[in-house]
Amino acid sequence: MVGESAIVTPAPSGRWPRTVVVRETARRGVRSAVLWGVVFGVYVTESATGYEGAYKTAGQRHALAQTLGSDVGISAIIGPASHLDTVAGFVAWRTLGVLTVVGAVWGLLAATRLLRGEEDAGRWELLLAGRTTRRGGAAQALTGLAGCALVLWAITAVIAVAVGRSSSVHIDGRSALFLAVADVSGAAIFLAVGALTSQLAPTRRQAASYAGAVLGVAYALRMVADSGAGLAWLRWASPLGWVEELHPLTTPRPVALVPIVGLIAILTVLTVQLAGARDLGASTIPDRSRPPTRTMLLSGPTGLTVRLVRPVVIGWVVAIALGGLMLGLIAKAAGRALTGSTSMRKLVSDFGAHGAGATTYLGVAFLMAALLLALIAAGQVGAARGEESEGKLDHLLVRPVSRTSWLAGRLSVATGALVIAGAVTGVTGWLGAASQDSGIGLTNMVAAGLNLVPPAVLILGVGTLAFGIRPRAASGACYAVLAWSFLVELIGGIVNASHWLLDTSVFHQMAAAPAVAPDWTTNAVLVALGVAAAAIGGIVFRFRDLAGA
Amino acid sequence: MAEPAIHTSGLSKRYADVDALSDLDLDVHQGEVVGYLGPNGSGKTTTLRLLLGLIRPTSGSAEIFGLDCQSRPVEAHRRLAYVAGEANLWPSLTGSETLHLLGRVQGQVDAAYRGELIARFDLDPSKKVRTYSKGNRQKLILIAALMARPDLLLLDEPTSGLDPLMEQAFRHSVHEAKERGQTVFLSSHILSEVEALCDRVGILRNGRLVDMGTLSDMRHLSALTVEATFDGSVPDLSQVPGVSSVEVEGRVVRCQVQGTVEPLLKVLASSGVHELLSREPSLEELFLAHYGRSTDPGTGSLEVPALGG
Repeated sequence: MVGESAIVTPAPSGRWPRTVVVRETARRGVRSAVLWGVVFGVYVTESATGYEGAYKTAGQRHALAQTLGSDVGISAIIGPASHLDTVAGFVAWRTLGVLTVVGAVWGLLAATRLLRGEEDAGRWELLLAGRTTRRGGAAQALTGLAGCALVLWAITAVIAVAVGRSSSVHIDGRSALFLAVADVSGAAIFLAVGALTSQLAPTRRQAASYAGAVLGVAYALRMVADSGAGLAWLRWASPLGWVEELHPLTTPRPVALVPIVGLIAILTVLTVQLAGARDLGASTIPDRSRPPTRTMLLSGPTGLTVRLVRPVVIGWVVAIALGGLMLGLIAKAAGRALTGSTSMRKLVSDFGAHGAGATTYLGVAFLMAALLLALIAAGQVGAARGEESEGKLDHLLVRPVSRTSWLAGRLSVATGALVIAGAVTGVTGWLGAASQDSGIGLTNMVAAGLNLVPPAVLILGVGTLAFGIRPRAASGACYAVLAWSFLVELIGGIVNASHWLLDTSVFHQMAAAPAVAPDWTTNAVLVALGVAAAAIGGIVFRFRDLAGA
Repeated sequence: MAEPAIHTSGLSKRYADVDALSDLDLDVHQGEVVGYLGPNGSGKTTTLRLLLGLIRPTSGSAEIFGLDCQSRPVEAHRRLAYVAGEANLWPSLTGSETLHLLGRVQGQVDAAYRGELIARFDLDPSKKVRTYSKGNRQKLILIAALMARPDLLLLDEPTSGLDPLMEQAFRHSVHEAKERGQTVFLSSHILSEVEALCDRVGILRNGRLVDMGTLSDMRHLSALTVEATFDGSVPDLSQVPGVSSVEVEGRVVRCQVQGTVEPLLKVLASSGVHELLSREPSLEELFLAHYGRSTDPGTGSLEVPALGG
C-alpha cells in the first residue's frame, strides 16, 4: 500500500482518444449489423434461388405475375408487384417489401439501444467525462451508427453481387449494389429516427416506442398509397414510399435517394442539436416523474413481474396481432400463387401439408409467428436474468420470498404471455382471412395460434435450464437455439436436408397448422420437455450463488 | 440465554483461487449493535450475502436466530431486514410503490413509523425511482428495512451516498432500534459511525476476522501513543522495553508503548521532560494498525507500527 499514488502513468486511451464514442458505439452495434447483414443476404439469395426453383417455365412465371401482380392486398402489405415474370423483378419486390420493414425495426431498436440505452445505463456519463462534449458525443455516436449501417450494406451487397453472378440469376454488379442500397435504406432511415427519439424520450423503451409509432404511420401511409384507391401520390408522404420509388433491378431511380439522404441529414442535425441542448440523462420531452401511485399488482413478486413485463408483452402482442392480421389478409392471394409453384408445393409437403390455398399458405407462414413467440420466451428469460444481474432480485430474496416461488411466478407470467400471444395471432389471422372470404374457421385458426406456444415453452424451459446452470449464458443459450432452429428451417426450405438435421430445430416438430391439424401429442411432449428443463434449472438455481453481471 | 442473533462457525467462501472469507466464527447476541469493519474487498459483503443465503458457503455454517441460513432462508428472513450498499431498484416504480411492494413482501410494516422515517429522511416518495439520486435510493431501502421493525438489521455500508444530515438521521434510527431491543449488524468503513454506534467491533482483513471485541478491550490491548517534549537533548528511547515506532521531531518525541509504561516513565523522568501527552488509540488507529502491519494476520501479534500523523 506504499507509494501507489506516487507514480502517475497515462491511461492507455487508444490511438484516438477523441473518437472513443464512435468506437464504443460501432463496437457495440457491429455484431448485430453483421448478423442482420447475413440474414439480409440469405433472404436475397433465398428469393432468387427460390424463384428459380419454383417457377421454371415462362408460363409459370406469367401466371405468378398475373395472380400476385394484380392483388391489391399483396400490393398494400408488401408493395406493388411489377415485373414478377423475371428473377430481378421478383427479388426486388420481395426483398424490398420485407427487408425495408425488418431493417427499419432493426434500425430503431439498434439506435435507441446504442444511444438512449447506453445513456440510461450510465455508460455515457463515463465517456462524456472524457474529452468530448454532449454534442460531440452525439455526433460521434451517429458516426458509429453510420458505421453499423455501412457494415449492414456491405455484407448484403457482397452476397447480392455473388448471387447475381450465378448463371441462372443474371444480375450485374452495379444493379446488385443498388439493390443492397435499396434494401438497407429502411434501416438507415430508422437508425436516424431512433437517434432522434433517443434525444426526445426519457427512457430507451419510450424512445423505441416513439420511433415505432413513426414507423407505423409511415407504413400505414405507404399501405394506403399502394392499395389502388387512387392515392398513389401519398407514397411521397412516407419515407417507406421513397424506398419503393428506388425501383432497384427493374427501373432504377437513384433520384429517390435525394429525399432519403435529405431526411437522414435533417434527423442527424436535429439529433446533434437536441443532444447539445439538454442535460445528460434528461429528455427533451419531460418525463412524468410523479405518476399516480398504483399498488394493485404490487402485493408480491409475481404481481411485480406482471407489472414489469406488461409494457414489453403488450408491445409484442400488438406486433404479433398486426402480423397475424397481415398474413390473414394476404393468405388467399398468396395461397393461389402457391398453386403455380413446384418447390413451394414441396416445401408445403415437407411440413406435412398438401394442396394449396389460404390454409396452406398460413400453415407455412405461421412458422414466422412461431419464431416471434419464441423470441418473447427468450426475452422473458433475459428479463429474469436481468433482475438477478442488476441486483434487483436481492431486494426480494432477502425478504421471506423463496427462489423457487419467484422463478415459478416469472415462468407462469411468461407462459401466460405466450398463450395470449398465440391466441391473439390465431384470432387476428382469422379476422384477416375472413375479411377476404378465405373460408377458414375461427376454431381452426385459434388452434393454429395455440399450436405456436409449445416450441416457445420449450425455449423458455431451455433458457431456464441455462439460467440455473450458467446464468451469464442464459440469454445467449436461448438466442443460439433460436438462431440455429431458424437457420435449419431456412436451409431445409432450400435444399433437401436430412431429417436428423431438421429434427434439431425446435420448430420442426410443430405441425403446420392450420394447413394440417395440430398434433397435440407432439405438442404435449414439447411442453413436457420444456417443463422438465425448467424444473431442473429451477432446482439448480435454488442451490447456486446469485451472480452479478 | 436466548439463541444468538447471528452464529457462524468455520464459515468460508472461496471464489476460484481467492479466499473471500476464511473460517469465520462469529456470535452476535440479541440486542447488540456490532460493527463490522474492513476495507473494500475484505469480505464484509461476502459475509452478509452468506448470512442471507444469497450465496453458498464453501464450508462452515451460519444461523440466524438458530435458523440455518441455507436450508431455512425464508423463515430466517422473516426476522431480519437487509440494506445493501447499492440500491438498484425498479426504475419504473415510484418511491411509494416500492415501499408498498417491499412492505407487502416483508409481511410486516409499522405504518406510523414508516411515515416518521419518510419525514426524518426527507424523502419525496411520489417520484419515480429513476429520477432519484443515489442518496435518495439509499434512503428508500433504509426506510424499507427500518419500517419492518425486524429483530435483526443487517446493514451493508448503509450510509454510502448519504449527506451528513442524513447520516445523523441514520444514527438516530439505529439508536431507536437498539432501544427497542433490535439487533444491528453494521458493516462499514466509516469509522466514526462504528465508533459512535457499536457495542462491539470486528475487524476483517483479507477475509479473516483479525480482531473482535469492545472498543475499550481493543484499546486496552493496544499501544498507547505518547508524545514527550524535552527541555534539552532528546534521549534514545528505542531501547526502552515496550516502546516502538519512535519518531523524533526537534525536541519532540512520539512513540508507542505496549504494556506497562513504567520503564518509559523512568527514562523520561531522568531526562528533563518538559511536557507529556498520552492518549488511547482512536478506532482509526486501531484499524490502520491492523492494516499497516506486515506480520501474518492470523498470528495474533499486536505489535503496532508507526501510524504517521
